Amino acid sequence: MDNSSRRTFLGLCLGGLGAVAAAAFSWPLFRYLAPRTGSDAAGKVVIPAADVREGEAKFFEYAGSSAVLVRKRGGDLVAFSAVCTHLGCIVQWEKDKQDFLCPCHGGHFSADGSVTAGPPPKPLNKLPFSVSGDSITVG
Amino acid sequence: MTIIKKIIDWIDVRVGIRDVAAKELTGYLLPRNINAWYSMGSILLCAFALQVVSGMLLLIYYVPDADKAFKSVTAIMNDVPYGWLIRMCHAVGSNMMMLALLLHMLSVLFMGSYKKPRELNWVSGFMLLTLVQAISLTGYLLPWSQLSFWATTVATNSASAIPVVGPYLVEFLRGSQLVGPPTLGRFFALHVAVIPAGIVALIGAHIFLLKRTGVSTPPFGLKETANQWQGDSYRYEGHPGGIPFFPNYALEDLRSIAIYLACFLAVVFFDPYLFFPRDAFIPANPFVTPAHIKPEWYFLANYQTLKIFPNELIGLSLQGAAMTFLALLPFVDRGSERHPLKRPLFMTCAVGGVLLWIGLSIWGHLS
Repeated sequence: MDNSSRRTFLGLCLGGLGAVAAAAFSWPLFRYLAPRTGSDAAGKVVIPAADVREGEAKFFEYAGSSAVLVRKRGGDLVAFSAVCTHLGCIVQWEKDKQDFLCPCHGGHFSADGSVTAGPPPKPLNKLPFSVSGDSITVG
Repeated sequence: MTIIKKIIDWIDVRVGIRDVAAKELTGYLLPRNINAWYSMGSILLCAFALQVVSGMLLLIYYVPDADKAFKSVTAIMNDVPYGWLIRMCHAVGSNMMMLALLLHMLSVLFMGSYKKPRELNWVSGFMLLTLVQAISLTGYLLPWSQLSFWATTVATNSASAIPVVGPYLVEFLRGSQLVGPPTLGRFFALHVAVIPAGIVALIGAHIFLLKRTGVSTPPFGLKETANQWQGDSYRYEGHPGGIPFFPNYALEDLRSIAIYLACFLAVVFFDPYLFFPRDAFIPANPFVTPAHIKPEWYFLANYQTLKIFPNELIGLSLQGAAMTFLALLPFVDRGSERHPLKRPLFMTCAVGGVLLWIGLSIWGHLS
């Protein structure tokens, strides 16, 4: 084996070892920095029914994001993700108008979650819930 | 390869990168009898870089709030993927860096490399030692464990022995009368911003001085370089006919760094809690002082000295005098002889000093 091929071979071995070492350090680094999956997984959220009065909304944290429970005039309950479908701001409940306003770009949603004005492309995402006795379980 | 060559050519015609490489790497000649101890500086640079990177990563999850700090460190250890690895690298790394720093100083001491014209290298290196001690001490508080809390209480309380300003100085260090949330804020700022900036600046000064004066020749084997400094005017101590830094000595540096990393990773993986006493796993409780609280191994000699002398001021003054003497050693020991075996008085004092330090540390550990 001449000197140049030996040098190439040793260079390749060294490069390979370096690559393995880099991968061995990169993987823990990537896992350390990556967002943690599972910790924000959807659990159930229980809210006392008395907390949501007629015509009002109750905001709460759900599955790592914001959600809202509304008791419409007449007593019907609805639950939505409170994240605006336009650019992800959190909507506000306008009690007097009985609708949702997104303060970022003026999007409006009805109490049923459908878009009534502004740029949002889709209605608010509905969330499943059940009522048993004095408590409401979302999720 | 042609693309890499083209990129280098493109840079070279603009900033003359090949000239820099020829002067600072391939044309930077070192003494032919240079030994492995000269790699300690490179090892320390590598260790410091690891501390910076692991520290930055810890900042992502660590919360510098007295109510949340311990929980956040526990979460890093137990919940964050590979968080234990990052924290262990940082904690073990600080101890290993201190060990490497002490070995670096001992090699400089025994090879007489601190002597003229390198007095400023020694002084800047000594200042780096004190800053590394300070960054270790401030980092010790951040996990907000019983060990952190009470070790910081004892360490900051030492300053109270200083006449007149002592009590005020303690309160100033702590930000309050006792160690508490204001202390954590101060120590956090010192640990992640102020002291690292000082260390980086001093490392720059240390390397600048090394480059301007030239590397010293080991006092063993070959004779000193021909163009030795005479004291009349500035003269770079070059080593004509020496070995190039790159690739020859750079590879030796890499070998030494690999050995250091092997030792470092062996502790991280096989004995990660070597430097963690039991109290490091209990959250800080300002109302319960644990029994036998002790500082890190490199402060054990200082701790034992304070215990020996009933008067805290005498204990502190002695330590201050010893540190000042060591800092100013090149101005005290001004002889030109550098071979350790031809300096019996120096050898007796140096070996005696090291043995005294080790003895005090062991006594402090066992007491």
